[in-house]
Amino acid sequence: MDHDHATPETLLDLARDRLPPAEKAEVERHVAGCEDCRRAVEVERGLDGLLDTALPRRAAPPSLVRRIEARLERQPRRGLVVVAGVAAGVIAIAAFLLVWSIRRDTTHVLLRETVNDHLRVIHAARPVEIESNEMQQIKPWFTGRLDFAPGLAFQGDAEFTLRGAAVGWFVDRKCAVYVFARGPHAITLVVMPAADLDWPRRSRARERGFETLLWREGDLGYGLVSDADAADLGKLAERLTPR
Amino acid sequence: MKRRGGDTSEVGREGLAHLDAVYNLARRWTGSDSEAENLVQETYARAFAAAPSFAPGTNLRARLFQILGNARKPGMVAKADADDGRGDAPAGEVWPRDDSDLRRLRGLAARDVEAALQSLSERHRMIVLLDVEGLAETEVAQILGIAAGTVKSRLACARAALRDKLKDYAK
Repeated sequence: MDHDHATPETLLDLARDRLPPAEKAEVERHVAGCEDCRRAVEVERGLDGLLDTALPRRAAPPSLVRRIEARLERQPRRGLVVVAGVAAGVIAIAAFLLVWSIRRDTTHVLLRETVNDHLRVIHAARPVEIESNEMQQIKPWFTGRLDFAPGLAFQGDAEFTLRGAAVGWFVDRKCAVYVFARGPHAITLVVMPAADLDWPRRSRARERGFETLLWREGDLGYGLVSDADAADLGKLAERLTPR
Repeated sequence: MKRRGGDTSEVGREGLAHLDAVYNLARRWTGSDSEAENLVQETYARAFAAAPSFAPGTNLRARLFQILGNARKPGMVAKADADDGRGDAPAGEVWPRDDSDLRRLRGLAARDVEAALQSLSERHRMIVLLDVEGLAETEVAQILGIAAGTVKSRLACARAALRDKLKDYAK
């Protein structure tokens, strides 16, 4: 503890009574003799009280609740229950349409998130955290930053130049983000553990003006996004995970 | 959202139980009804898509807050450091100077507190709101992708900035 004053962090912990007993006793002794720290503790308590009581809590509007409930109803289990009593031929068609619509909906969410990662790359002040065209430098950089190994078979070449990499977020998990350049076009590659996601085996689509290509290899999901040609993404995908 | 026996709807229902909390956080965060609604819809769409990764014991409320943060702006939580909150730094003397200032702090109206929160940088507003939700430092750290020790110092800094903003309303 500082000779003159306790730190703001310590005073907040004291105000909330979450210091270990020994430290609490020491800080309390200090506060008893220090007017500034005593007042600071009072202020922290006052601010907690103010935030607890003065800030209004707003409930979700009923229309929003209904929309989200409706989305939940469209999840697989409910859909299968709905079609259970229908005649066999109708069941087959309905089940196909249901699976198709759910898969399309889920894939679209994944697609949107992949494009979001690309947008972050092209709009960020620092698009990559490690700038390098050497995969030998990038591979060890990920060590300790990710809990999976996003190894790639491709090192970059004259056609698709590796620019660097970063750690990104994909929905609720960390992902590896690689940036390649194809002439003037930036191409973002995201790689993440996808065993528990409904990641498509292979899906090509245009989303918000960008070409996208998603595919799966083992437990990893891969996504490419760019304003380059769709054929270029296909070529890069072949080099990244050759069959 | 697989919790037991791969039952998606079970966790979906649990997720709905947190809807008010998620909306409330989104509303305070954005300061806008329509923006909050869009954000919450996107959050639940992403949560449903990531459903199978919700292992038993997952703190669903914290996970929804994390998804909300990432839905707010692509990569926002991971890139929170891009906004270093320096614009919030208190310029004047430490406040309050005496107990009368403290009394004025207690007398502030809800709209003043909301306005002061909205005037904070997004980085500081985010951590104050997560703290108000009663999340543990470790949970906040996980949501923001930062160390628990950083949560402590960033929160102290954010609260100092908030007190400084509140000073203007307490006059």
